[in-house]
Amino acid sequence: MARVHGSKIKKPWTRILGENLAEIGATVATGDWKTKVSCLILGFGPIMRGQVAKGLIFLLLEVAFIAYMAGFGAEYLSKFSTLGTVATQKVGRKTVYGDNSFLILLFGILTIIIIALFILVWRMNLRENYVEEKLLKEGKHLPANRKFLASFLDENFDKTLLALPCLGIFVFTVLPIIFMICVAFTNYDKNHQSPTNLFTWVGLANFRSLFSFGSNGFGSTFLTVLLWTLIWAFFATFIDYFLGLAVALLINKKGIKFKKLWRTILVLTIAVPQFVSLLYIMKMFGNDGIVNGYLMKWGWISSPIPFWTNPTLAKVMIVVINIWVGIPYMMLIATGLLMNIPEDLYESARMDGANPVQMFFKITLPYMLFVTGPFLLTSFTGNLNNFNVIYLLTQGRPQSVKLTGNAGYTDLLVTWLYKMTVNDTNYKMAAVIGIMVFLVTAVVSLVVYNMLPSVKDEEGFQ
Amino acid sequence: MNRKLVSALLAGAMVTGLLAGCGSSGSGSTAASTAPASEAAASEAAPASEAAPADVDYGSGDIKVWVADNVVDFTNQQVAAFKEANPQFAGWNVSVEPVGEGDAAGNMITDVEAGADIYGFAQDQIARLVSAGALEEVAPENVEAVKSQNDAGSVGAATVGGTLYAYPLTSDNGYFLYYDKSVVTDPSDLDQILADCEAAGKNFYMEINSGWYQTAFFFGTGCNLSYETDDAGNFTSANVDYASDKGVVAMKEMIRLQSSPAFQNGSAAGEATNLAAIVDGTWDSATVQELFGENYACAKLPSFTGSDGQTYQMSGFGGFKLLGVKPQQDENKLAVCDALAAYLSGEEVQLARYDAVGWGPSNMNAQQSDAVKADVALSALAEQLQYTIPQGQYPGDYWSLATGLGDDVRQGNLTTDSTDEEILAVLQTFQDTCISYAG
Amino acid sequence: MKEKNTGSMSRNRAISNFFAYIVLVLISIIWLFPFFGLIMQSFRSYKSEYGGMVDYIVPKRFSLDNYRFLFTKETNFTQWYLNTVIIAVAVAILQTIIVLCVSYALSRMRFKGRELLMRFWLILGMFPGFLTMICLYFLLKQLGLTQAGAVPGLILVNVASCGMGYYVCKGYFDTIPKALDEAARIDGATRAQIFIQMIIPLSKPIVIYTALVAFMAPWCDYIFASYVAFGHDKSYNVAVAMTRWVWTNDYQGYFTRFCAGGILVAVPVTILFMCLQKYYVEGVTGGAVKG
Repeated sequence: MARVHGSKIKKPWTRILGENLAEIGATVATGDWKTKVSCLILGFGPIMRGQVAKGLIFLLLEVAFIAYMAGFGAEYLSKFSTLGTVATQKVGRKTVYGDNSFLILLFGILTIIIIALFILVWRMNLRENYVEEKLLKEGKHLPANRKFLASFLDENFDKTLLALPCLGIFVFTVLPIIFMICVAFTNYDKNHQSPTNLFTWVGLANFRSLFSFGSNGFGSTFLTVLLWTLIWAFFATFIDYFLGLAVALLINKKGIKFKKLWRTILVLTIAVPQFVSLLYIMKMFGNDGIVNGYLMKWGWISSPIPFWTNPTLAKVMIVVINIWVGIPYMMLIATGLLMNIPEDLYESARMDGANPVQMFFKITLPYMLFVTGPFLLTSFTGNLNNFNVIYLLTQGRPQSVKLTGNAGYTDLLVTWLYKMTVNDTNYKMAAVIGIMVFLVTAVVSLVVYNMLPSVKDEEGFQ
Repeated sequence: MNRKLVSALLAGAMVTGLLAGCGSSGSGSTAASTAPASEAAASEAAPASEAAPADVDYGSGDIKVWVADNVVDFTNQQVAAFKEANPQFAGWNVSVEPVGEGDAAGNMITDVEAGADIYGFAQDQIARLVSAGALEEVAPENVEAVKSQNDAGSVGAATVGGTLYAYPLTSDNGYFLYYDKSVVTDPSDLDQILADCEAAGKNFYMEINSGWYQTAFFFGTGCNLSYETDDAGNFTSANVDYASDKGVVAMKEMIRLQSSPAFQNGSAAGEATNLAAIVDGTWDSATVQELFGENYACAKLPSFTGSDGQTYQMSGFGGFKLLGVKPQQDENKLAVCDALAAYLSGEEVQLARYDAVGWGPSNMNAQQSDAVKADVALSALAEQLQYTIPQGQYPGDYWSLATGLGDDVRQGNLTTDSTDEEILAVLQTFQDTCISYAG
Repeated sequence: MKEKNTGSMSRNRAISNFFAYIVLVLISIIWLFPFFGLIMQSFRSYKSEYGGMVDYIVPKRFSLDNYRFLFTKETNFTQWYLNTVIIAVAVAILQTIIVLCVSYALSRMRFKGRELLMRFWLILGMFPGFLTMICLYFLLKQLGLTQAGAVPGLILVNVASCGMGYYVCKGYFDTIPKALDEAARIDGATRAQIFIQMIIPLSKPIVIYTALVAFMAPWCDYIFASYVAFGHDKSYNVAVAMTRWVWTNDYQGYFTRFCAGGILVAVPVTILFMCLQKYYVEGVTGGAVKG
């Protein structure tokens, strides 16, 4: 079973299942009594055969599973299909809360996963019996307990290293993501909020409202926000990329002194926490901020420039300010990489009479694009989800009656999602938007990844 | 499946199981909330009826109070006084946290269980809080007193579908005009104010992209915008006529205001620059006083001459701050919370609060005190009050929709060149959306 | 090469360098201006001058009132600062350990499901982080790690999923020759010994890079932190507490105090960053190439 996934040949899952079932049947039918007892009492076989450590682990897992199901899981699982039916009520002046749909959904999912995992444990337990019996039949010795435990510091060291991180990721990433995906199929919002009110499954209703284009549907707003998200990510990535490269070239130019000083000045924007610097800049360009203040004092303008209230201007401002934030990263990266370009490439180009501009387009740029392809991809997907710059500067504003769901003209999908979660407690739509963000990111990643020269051609530039 | 991955996950699953087990037994609320309510109800019915006697043991525990940062110290003093006067509540430990009225409602709704037991909020949030189950009805023994001692507007604001849900705290959540006497010559005329500000190179502030301040124009020209709610706080119907000639006049005035070089959008005196006049509330009186010094003056909102040649007095919302008690699973705790909330919103404490931070009382006796009557800002507010409409219940979405409407003006989507038809089309969208929030 | 150049070429270079300097100076002014403004405003007294927005940069009179305010009993600034330091240090240590473990396992060990695990994590990373906020909040609440327990709660959440961010570190491990491992294994060293005694000492730059990045992130975390700690002033971090001074109407005239607080936050973080800049550059550059 396990072997299949690791190897390059993919078998259809039906065949894997069939093989597994056949092996289970064979193990139970032909196995000795220890193996048969192991079907009920996990780890019994290994313990009887002297594999106490291994056996105890199986046994403990079974005990933990039974305890979990009896004390906790079964109750939640039984309510999973309705997400609770007992409503909150008043007894005298006291409030007696009914079912908590949120916890039923959360722990219901957890229980289903745990049951699935337990079936796997059971399967592993049977296989362990099978292997042990086979070894004994062949007259070989089973490994000693000490050796089994010691293996977790040597050949099984990966399990030791990955156990905790995987657990953390499971509890705090996988479980919540499955939970939120499920929420997209419920009516969990401000009118159906735990613990006072119940929420329940509604099928695809939320997705339908996302793509409904009536005056009150989310459709047109969603497309507006999605379009701006893509435009923003494109500009933020490529403007920063080329300007950063230009600045790096400028600083690396022969004969320029104080290279370290220039770099340090730029790098300040990385070092200073963004909530300090960006909030200050936001205030700087406000209607009452110092930029408008000075311009008016000098008589250049008579009324303040609406940097944050005009949608187009606000979008331009965000992109421009993002240059301030983004160039230094690219400058650092480019500086390091420019030094790696073999000097003899330039030397031979010079021999052929190429001028600096030609050399840039023939050598520097292709090299940089080739080497930093993956970086461009990650920074593009990063910018799709660039929360800080947008939220600290405009919080997605300005708004308009033309946009539903409290979206503003500078909202990205993620900031819209955030506002839905925090301001409106519209969790169902937030979950739907979250799934859309995932789809956009995944599609962009897949498409671009396959276009990358460094993926197409591993040897490429050498 | 894959064995290595599986074994890693399994180890995880086991610990998770244990953790989850701990979690459920550790937090009583979880366990309680999953127990069928009917069972719990049956077992609790008996003690509920015999909780009347005077010297009951009120038990002990923690009570969380959320108020705005600038009244935290004040509230702490009052809580201490309350406990001194009521030794029977000695077992309860009260902690006061600075959570402003703006955040309180959102936080309460995110997680009612972790929210405060008693919290201050602006009345526009009350419907949202009731439907999220974050507000308990005012204790029956307090209802009469609250209704008779506070002004009608504040009682109305604390009422949803005929039930009193909160204790009125202030009646000062309205706005009026602060101005600089040395700049503004006639505070009763909007055009004159703008002309004076332009001449002096100073600014006139009003937050036209706020659903709260915006109504000064719309209600001023005679438009309506109100909602009906049922007992659970759900909106059942909307009464709105913004998409009308009156609405266009109001909208045109906003556009004209926006086009003035002296106009600035904003309502926070502390954030204003070069200020000569601002439409703001009493909470900023100290800031404005400091800014204007000797030239500090207040007045009711000005009137304006609309595009149809008629003169309109600016109107707006009269608003209130309320103190709410969250539903409790423990009747004793609820009794203590009710007593404390009643105390904190009582006549003496309202007066003391006025002395400490200048919040205008909703209690009618307190309103008649000399100190309150002598207050310039509160007098201006009182004068404006006759033109305002007591703020009823509005869906949360209204506020952001109104921001959108104001932003459309500020962005220049609508300008002085816009035709009546264009303006009417925007107002029609606005009106339709408003109506769609009900039902 | 220089000596080969003709006079006109070196004159050209001098001219182009002159323009380069002008551009660089302009860039520097633009880059430094916000920080200059921030520092200046932090010295404008909220008491004797004005704490809100004004239309000039240099205060009329320099004063330390804003800084003094931060250390009075009126705010919990010192508590917020301490919280942030605790979170940042704990996250830096734990995250570094976890990332090193994951990177070693994925770089050096070949086990079944390795590819699958990496692909799975990659897909997980495509979900927006804010999506799961409400769920994480209630998970933490089950463990009692919200409001009063928000500081350990934030550490837990920050650290729990950091294993997915192994790319840069694994990329670095990949560059350490495997022959070293093989030799050590022939000498009888276990995997654990190789990891701890050989690989980690060889990886100083990447250890510092990982710890530095992990240390800096919590200083700017106001999104989740405000969600977990709401209603409990004492467990806010600086970002949560101080963004209120800018965003919330309750705190008018706090702008200069925000600036002063911002300076106190930014200075130590910036100094640390500047000292370790070399490692940071190495990390980002390596990470950019590996993706």
